[in-house]
Amino acid sequence: MNKNPLDVFIEGAKKGFNIAVFSLLPNVLMAYVIAKMLTILGIMQLLAKIFSPIMSLFSLPGESIAVLLSAWLSVSAGVGMLISLISDNLLNDVQISIITPAIFLMGAQLQYMGRLLGVAGVRKKYWPLLMLTSILNAFIAMGFLAFYFKIS
Amino acid sequence: MKNEFVIGKVKFSSYLALIFLILFFSGLLSKHDILKAFDFATLSGTFGQIKLNEFSFSFLGKGGDGARAGFLFAFSLIPAIMLALGVIELMQHYGAIKAAQKLLSPILRPILGVAGLCGIILITDLQSTDAGAIMSKQAYEDELIDEKSLIIIAAWQYSGAGLINNFFAIGAAIISHLSILPIIIIMLMIIMKFIGAIFVRIMLNTIYKKDFA
Repeated sequence: MNKNPLDVFIEGAKKGFNIAVFSLLPNVLMAYVIAKMLTILGIMQLLAKIFSPIMSLFSLPGESIAVLLSAWLSVSAGVGMLISLISDNLLNDVQISIITPAIFLMGAQLQYMGRLLGVAGVRKKYWPLLMLTSILNAFIAMGFLAFYFKIS
Repeated sequence: MKNEFVIGKVKFSSYLALIFLILFFSGLLSKHDILKAFDFATLSGTFGQIKLNEFSFSFLGKGGDGARAGFLFAFSLIPAIMLALGVIELMQHYGAIKAAQKLLSPILRPILGVAGLCGIILITDLQSTDAGAIMSKQAYEDELIDEKSLIIIAAWQYSGAGLINNFFAIGAAIISHLSILPIIIIMLMIIMKFIGAIFVRIMLNTIYKKDFA
């Protein structure tokens, strides 16, 4: 029970290393590759055009829809996509702050259907309600922050 | 009641650990000359610059893209993630999680209409999606909570699952780019979890009312 605090820290740091190497790294790599493919194929520009009216409500460029779409599949992929857009200078720091909570609030729904709702034993009948709620949460958070930055 | 759902006595030091944990990641200490020794971003530090000709570029270089840039970027995140999870583990060891559970429990009945013991599940979820899911199932199977409560706490967990660990592990990449303190983003996300769960509670009491008659 009386563990040495240094050992406890090391244990956590090891966990961090494992998450970084085995979860984040492959996901970010994938997001960068997908982002590059989408850009070369012109799909990113198309997405940007289609979604720019909606995303501009949240003071975001149309391309940022790619962040939300990939976040829906995996939080790491969403963050990877965001970073890839940042490195292309598509988002400034205010816009990054606006979209960040949305990545987590609607993140990894596909994965967590099984890992969370399935395991907890929530009947499938209620899954759509919970998915809708997460997406609403994400958009309300973005709306709130966009409004906050507009008035401040 | 099963042991895992009993918080028991919370030591004063556990509250201190919780406060430390919050301050450590809040960014509030980063401006202070000495207290910044306990600030996450400060301790994460920076990579040295690599000088190339007249211009100095960052560790990542300039203008990379594709798999190689993605790999190098993710690689650059490892130290901050190790530091974050190391400190979280340490404060958990000193009871920070228990203190958070104790503080959350009394407000759950009025806000979400679920038993106080769900606080343990919800705080657990902030750290680990899987642990939260398993505890929810256990509480339901042991008849400590009814189906309505199960759905409400599942809604809370589903939006932003594993929030704290995910934010500091995966989100570590973004923290330095934020134009507001990370604590504000975290607070907002936690508030949204509650708003979403309240929305689900209302839906269950109206549209899905006959399911629970």
